Amino acid sequence: MTDAHGTGPRHSPLHAEHRALGARFALFGGWEMPLAYPAGTLFEHRACRTGAAVFDVSHLGTVRVEGPDAHDRIQLALSNDLDRIGPGRAQYTQLLDDADGSVVDDIIVWWVDGTTFDVMPNASNTAAVVEALGGRDVTDERAVIAVQGPSARKLLAEIAPDAAAVPRFGVASFMFQGHAATVAGTGYTGEDGVECAVPLAVAVTFWRSLIGAGMTPAGLGARDTLRLEAGLPLHGHELGPGITPLQAGLGWSVGWSVPRFRGRAALERERERGVARRLVGITTDGRQPPRSGSAVLRGGVGIGEVTSGNFSPVLGHGIALALVAEDSSPLTPGTPVELELRGRRLPGQVTALPFVRGGGRP
Amino acid sequence: MNVPDELRYSTDHEWVRADGDRVRVGITDYAQDALGDVVYVSLPEVGTTVEAGGVLGEVESTKSVSEIYAPVGGEVVAVNTDLGSSPERVNDDPYGAGWYCELVPTDPAAVDALLDAAGYEALTAS
Repeated sequence: MTDAHGTGPRHSPLHAEHRALGARFALFGGWEMPLAYPAGTLFEHRACRTGAAVFDVSHLGTVRVEGPDAHDRIQLALSNDLDRIGPGRAQYTQLLDDADGSVVDDIIVWWVDGTTFDVMPNASNTAAVVEALGGRDVTDERAVIAVQGPSARKLLAEIAPDAAAVPRFGVASFMFQGHAATVAGTGYTGEDGVECAVPLAVAVTFWRSLIGAGMTPAGLGARDTLRLEAGLPLHGHELGPGITPLQAGLGWSVGWSVPRFRGRAALERERERGVARRLVGITTDGRQPPRSGSAVLRGGVGIGEVTSGNFSPVLGHGIALALVAEDSSPLTPGTPVELELRGRRLPGQVTALPFVRGGGRP
Repeated sequence: MNVPDELRYSTDHEWVRADGDRVRVGITDYAQDALGDVVYVSLPEVGTTVEAGGVLGEVESTKSVSEIYAPVGGEVVAVNTDLGSSPERVNDDPYGAGWYCELVPTDPAAVDALLDAAGYEALTAS
């Protein structure tokens, strides 16, 4: 992966901080980002479930859409009903493929004020979102730092009290050392917490202050195991070409009350003919991590495929998300299944999502 | 990176400790560091015979799966069953409590053909 200039992977404004902390890096969506710090993924994961973790998620895109027509442009392009929220609120939504309703990208929209929206796509999909919405790619102008965990707000309050006070799914401005920044009560871990978009001038200071307050720096490895325990979809796994929001269990985020948005007609057709497969949670009996691509068997017959799987640090056994076909007998929690993994079969059962709730409660 | 002098090494990042007629096998500090947090280890059955370079089992971290290869051919005579419930020992103590299995080599001289500590350090430095 290379950046727009073909000069290699993109780096966060905090890259030198991660190097100084001894991070191991991984490529993700064209960005070289911390995979784990020396304490390791399991430690970082537990820190987020029991205390507070801080993640550099500057690789998320920010597309600023402004002006009197901003609301209508977003509503026409994205699938959720923007009028379920208002200024000062954030919303989970998707950019759909108009032809088949599959998810081009899943997105958080920050409705910053009356006519200003910060649209946050996944790293590699920013260009597609700019094309669909217009707006300006301001990704290079800020760092985005996620502060997550049961103690996150308490520790953040020592540094930025206004940021720590933002409600869940609220969006607000706050000042840090004389610079205006934006915070949203959002995250991707299943824990309470916030995500802060901080201008470059104070990004490093803000990051250091959070670590100085006692937060554990955590990488993409922990971010992935945390979101999986929380049953949250990852684009490229649970979402992507050929997978609609109805299949992925995200029907709640489809704005059916909106008469027209990209992909609506395709979703209507799918709803009428019946959704052929759906996303389920599966827990496996031992520690061996299920992996994406494993076949899911019910009574020895293939019914689908694992989209993400790993070891759950909180539960101490394997967990997986899988897209499965549902025939006449529904896959209720407790239904026994097997996962085919490199020639072996891992026994498991269908499990209600999330696997783990906030504070590390199963 | 810790590379004890008294051990021999394979190019697949296993270490070998000669002990009478048997050898103890594990993965190196370099290998455990590259894997990240180990969450699952699959062990061979005692009594299994394996060729040099054959697959003994797998070690898995949150991010990847690696096979463990037999540094020398022989019969598996012991396995570290503690790794079933405490696979993190591979990370915490790769040359001690994190050992993997013990083999009786078919050809005891095969151990001498493995890399010494200097050779393995050169391999991982490149």
